[in-house]
Amino acid sequence: MSELADQPATDTGVAAELGAQFGSDCLYQHTVDGIPTFWVAKDRLLPVMRFLKNQIKRPFPLLLDLSAIDERLREHRPGQPDADFTAFYHLMSLDRNEDVRIKVALSDADNRLPSLTPVWQSANWYEREAFDMFGIVFDDHPNLQRILTPPLWEGHPLRKEHPARATEMDPFKMTPEFQKAQQEELRFVPEEWGMSREAKHTDFMFLNLGPNHPSVHGVFRVALQLDGEVVIDAVPDIGYHHRAAEKMAERQTWHTFIPYTDRIDYLGGVMNNLPYVMAVEKMASIEVPPRAQVIRIMLAELFRISSHLVFYGTFAQDVGQMSPVLYMFADRERLFSIIEAITGGRMHPSWFRIGGVCEDLPAGWDTMVRDFIDYLPKRLAEYERMSMQNSIFKRRTIGIGQYDTAEALDWGVTGPGLRATGCDWDLRKKRPYGGYDQFDFDVPIAHNGDCYDRCRVRVDEIHESLRIIRQCLDNMPGGDYKALHPQTTPPPKERTMEDIETLIQHFLNVSWGPVIPPSECTMAIEATKGINSYYLVSDGGTMSYRTRIRTPSFPHLQMIPLISRGFLIADLIAILASIDFVMADVDR
Amino acid sequence: MRWRLIKIEPDASMQPIEDAFNEDLAHSVLVTKLQDLVAWSRAHSIWPFNFGLSCCYVEMATALTPRHDLARFGSEIMRATPRQADLLIVTGTVFRKMAPVLQHLYDQLLAPRWVISMGSCSNSGGMYDVYSVVQGVDKFLPVDVYIPGCPPRPEALLQGIILLQEAVEKDRRPLAWVFDETGEAARVAKPSQRDLRTPERMAVTTLAQPTTVGDAPLSGELLSSTRTDHRMK
Repeated sequence: MSELADQPATDTGVAAELGAQFGSDCLYQHTVDGIPTFWVAKDRLLPVMRFLKNQIKRPFPLLLDLSAIDERLREHRPGQPDADFTAFYHLMSLDRNEDVRIKVALSDADNRLPSLTPVWQSANWYEREAFDMFGIVFDDHPNLQRILTPPLWEGHPLRKEHPARATEMDPFKMTPEFQKAQQEELRFVPEEWGMSREAKHTDFMFLNLGPNHPSVHGVFRVALQLDGEVVIDAVPDIGYHHRAAEKMAERQTWHTFIPYTDRIDYLGGVMNNLPYVMAVEKMASIEVPPRAQVIRIMLAELFRISSHLVFYGTFAQDVGQMSPVLYMFADRERLFSIIEAITGGRMHPSWFRIGGVCEDLPAGWDTMVRDFIDYLPKRLAEYERMSMQNSIFKRRTIGIGQYDTAEALDWGVTGPGLRATGCDWDLRKKRPYGGYDQFDFDVPIAHNGDCYDRCRVRVDEIHESLRIIRQCLDNMPGGDYKALHPQTTPPPKERTMEDIETLIQHFLNVSWGPVIPPSECTMAIEATKGINSYYLVSDGGTMSYRTRIRTPSFPHLQMIPLISRGFLIADLIAILASIDFVMADVDR
Repeated sequence: MRWRLIKIEPDASMQPIEDAFNEDLAHSVLVTKLQDLVAWSRAHSIWPFNFGLSCCYVEMATALTPRHDLARFGSEIMRATPRQADLLIVTGTVFRKMAPVLQHLYDQLLAPRWVISMGSCSNSGGMYDVYSVVQGVDKFLPVDVYIPGCPPRPEALLQGIILLQEAVEKDRRPLAWVFDETGEAARVAKPSQRDLRTPERMAVTTLAQPTTVGDAPLSGELLSSTRTDHRMK
């Protein structure tokens, strides 16, 4: 068994320091990902969190994730404190390059917790999400409202008793009364957000931008408080794209959830499969052969380029350039012809498998990839002159929507948005996963943290991705494209015809899918838009007990009010574009 | 350069024009019924509403860009407000939270208006049989064309738009009841493309092998087979 709660805390790192400060208040739990995990009583939560963020030497400034687990149906939790619900907090320290996970046990009768909003700005939306999904109440939260489900929703979807399927619920009916009531609930009330309707010399205008607006990049709504054209304050409103991927994971087998991961960051393609399959591999102790690792990296980097090209083109379009987006989509089509030749799909190939990839590379892949990586740099040089060096482009983006590293971490910003502030935090470099330690590449950074720099970093990343892909191309290892592990690959067909044991194993693997031992594991990767992590809890079944998907875009949107105050509406459009979010990556 | 003038010798392929006046008239004057003219113009100036929900929207945007170039089929003018548009392409998952908003947008489209449902989610909920998703946009909006796929390729969207254009050109009100000569009312038929094309598809015997790199399997052939001659009759 992987969980040994009474195993003593290790005497190094954060475990020792927490032990010295709080003694037996922190109960250690072992997890397969090796992240020090501690159970804390709810009245000790705030002191522990303040200690980790502010007082400890080399602190944990980034609240990476916050959510909960409904423990009521879980069978395997040896040594863990009794709980109906568990709230968990995942913190990250850049200085130490270390993570820590804090858990708090809650009972159904008393599911209240102190809010962490005084400690981390980013806790606000995460706590609203935990309230929406589990009904956990956070005391002293500034505005604890539903965030993902519609305002008149009943129940808390990630509780085990909530129906998962739409077909288990009453059929959807659009009556005029229903529509009116829902629309009325969406009406923006400034007072709810502590806004006044007028100031000394002016009446503010409240403008509703979205949820369907060409420049909000998806179904996303921002309510703006305006003085003329100047943004005084903004309230982002999300949840219009909530596809319930986390609930879905609780009814799909380990393998059949892979296609759902593709659709989380729908510009990232197979990049989304990577943290999920790697987490499952860690739980099942599966070694991935080198060829599969390199194929994965090559495809992930191709999708990073594809995603950045969409960003680059739409960003230029949003600040007024019509042509670049057309050129870049044409390049993206070339890239998709490679993706299609290799995987058979375009946007959602669902091509990675637990233990490797779906099939081997087709004959002739290398010529296609080489043609593309020889072709793209010339085009990028042209775009550099067309966009990045364009004086209007620069004046629309330099100094707009600026934030520094400390603010970025406080708001949970990762990825290019963080690297644009001069912080070189890139998990591919800092915690090389899946074979990235074998590659020679740099982590591009910029220093102003404005819209221009966020674009700069992404453009430079395209060049670095091309470097990585070239190394994949030149050094593609031979061997298997998938691990020969009983959990991942059916036994050879000839043997199933000869003995019953092999036949049974084949049958079970194909019909039920693999059984993953009871364990907990987080796997984080540097996705196209920032850190994407999967926290999987297995209860020893063929399906996940709880899947938590931490996506980068969610906290990024929360920061919009901070970086858009005082700018014009037109600047807000540039800021929205520079964040590079995908609504499916926000609402999941 | 050396050159000289010669006299044209009419040969067998050159016919003298007998009725030059009528010939000329035929090139510049067109006689048709007004309703046919209106239907033809409508079919070839469909303005889609710039509306996107999820992944499918990216493929719809791709259909506008160079390789696919929706402009060739006369539907590239995306309007940002429903009041200027006559085609709603529901691109992506219809969420319960978004459905009232979508209904509100649809109500603002001026008639005649059409709806294309693009992608599995919008067709039926697709792989998202889950509490937050409406199981198909046709639960509350009338749909003219369904495009399968998750997401459908841009070519599939082009095919869907062409199918819609053909329907609009043929049936002046594709959504309405039609009365025939005897006064019988009937719905306009929406034939399943799958049924129509199954024989042709089953006749294919050689498929692209996944083990070698080939051309993209769908694009060219799909377009050439659906595009009929659109010159006015």
